[in-house]
Amino acid sequence: MLFEALLIALLAGVAGVDLFDGLTHMHRPVVIGPLVGLILGDVQTGLLVGGTLELVWMGMVPLAGAQPPNVVIGGIIGTAFAILTKAEPTVAIGVAVPFSIAVQGCITVLFTVFSPMMHKCDEMVKQGNWRGIEWVNYLGMITLFAFYFVVAFLPIYFGAEAAGAAVQKAPEWVLDGLSVAGGMMPAIGFALLMKIMLKTNYIAYFIMGFVAVTYLKLPILAVALGAFAIAMADYFNQNRAQPQAARNVEVEDGI
Amino acid sequence: MGFNETDAANAAKAELRMQQALATSHVERDDYIDTTAAEPLTKKDINHMAWRSLALQASFNYERMQAGGWLYTILPALRKIHKNPEDLKNSAQMHMEFINVHPFDVTFLSGLVLAMEQSKEKISTIRAVKVALMGPLGGIGDAMFWLTWLPICAGIGAALALEGSLFGPIVFLLLFNALHFGLRFGLAHYGYRAGLGAISALKANTRKISHAASIVGMTVIGALVASYVRLSTPLEIHAGKAEIALQADVLDKLMPNLLPLVFTFLMFALMKKGYSPVKLIGVTVLFGLAGKFFGFL
Repeated sequence: MLFEALLIALLAGVAGVDLFDGLTHMHRPVVIGPLVGLILGDVQTGLLVGGTLELVWMGMVPLAGAQPPNVVIGGIIGTAFAILTKAEPTVAIGVAVPFSIAVQGCITVLFTVFSPMMHKCDEMVKQGNWRGIEWVNYLGMITLFAFYFVVAFLPIYFGAEAAGAAVQKAPEWVLDGLSVAGGMMPAIGFALLMKIMLKTNYIAYFIMGFVAVTYLKLPILAVALGAFAIAMADYFNQNRAQPQAARNVEVEDGI
Repeated sequence: MGFNETDAANAAKAELRMQQALATSHVERDDYIDTTAAEPLTKKDINHMAWRSLALQASFNYERMQAGGWLYTILPALRKIHKNPEDLKNSAQMHMEFINVHPFDVTFLSGLVLAMEQSKEKISTIRAVKVALMGPLGGIGDAMFWLTWLPICAGIGAALALEGSLFGPIVFLLLFNALHFGLRFGLAHYGYRAGLGAISALKANTRKISHAASIVGMTVIGALVASYVRLSTPLEIHAGKAEIALQADVLDKLMPNLLPLVFTFLMFALMKKGYSPVKLIGVTVLFGLAGKFFGFL
């Protein structure tokens, strides 16, 4: 178990850095899930849990610098837990979320602690110490890596079996309840996106997407392509309409 | 720095930080000593800058956000442009000021800024461009990447993964990064070449690009709600001798996916009232537990 836990911790370190730097998005649960599965010898479960967790985190993106519940730790703990305890993917969400919220808090602290480094940078600039500036940035990434390494290693190495035993003793309605809640959870991510984007004139497009799946049973890509076509038509129509609108405004201003 | 703060509050905070940063700026003079335009940067220089932009948030912090990574991104090019050491220090001091831009389309701004540095614009002009473009670039980046492209790619990837296919993660990574890296490098060269001329073009198109991205985004979210939110009830109504299954006989006939839709809008309404996502996650867990305990879910 030590070897597997170390490998997973290494993966967590790389993914943790990717969340802020690199941003190839290999840190998303849909990728992390099967990778954790590979380490623990169950890729299939990893895929299922990763896919499920991906939907939960879909709307939790870092807008305007705010930190959502940590997607890296959520994906890793959730998948590892599901494989080690043979729990349902939806149950894994209930376990993953508290961890990811705790890590979100730690990251906030980390970003606060890093603030004084900026004054060091000011001095380095004055001295023309360009190597130093570069090393502050490397140090930031190393710190992130180390942090994620530890945070992923500890619960998997020490906690997974205890957690597994607790799960086996838990009454059935608790596990089923967590599972039902997990099925509902994607709604929170979607609601978050809607809070940001949903203005009155976009409700029509929401309805269109909903109807396309509910009644027409179209796959997501088909719906996205259709919407892209509409957005394109809208964009070019706007371009044509604009000169006239601009002229009207000018006339009003003139009077 | 909670996740439940409104956009307006975040924007106000960012603006306050910006003012503080400008007030505490250490820049000594506004003009460069050596005002002859530097040699143009090569394609290699711009590509190097684009690679380095991957570390934009390496020293992220709440005081100046991406300032350290921003200087790291443009530093090699700055050193090539400013042969006079005093000029270089002055420029670097300005670039250590607060900056918060989207980490995907940042290269447009850094390309543009390098074009201005290369033609030795006044420091205050370069700073003004940085400040003016931070917001629009952030808005376009959020709308395009976080709210449109990521949900589309992740939706496709997750759907494949849930079928047990390894193509899920592979397709997700390929799709997402094709646009990501294409734009990162494309915008770096575009920003540099376009120089100052690009600013007005971008400002005119900000609204239209966000609008188009919102259309695709909202449609996909509507589709995802119907595909992935799962909620149904096993309740049965006993009316005399007849038994009516609430889900199959009533709700599904009214409209399939009605409960997921209602629940999503409930979450949306609560969020608008100021409930944080974390609180709603907690409430959902309790609701699921209660639903199983009392048997209505």
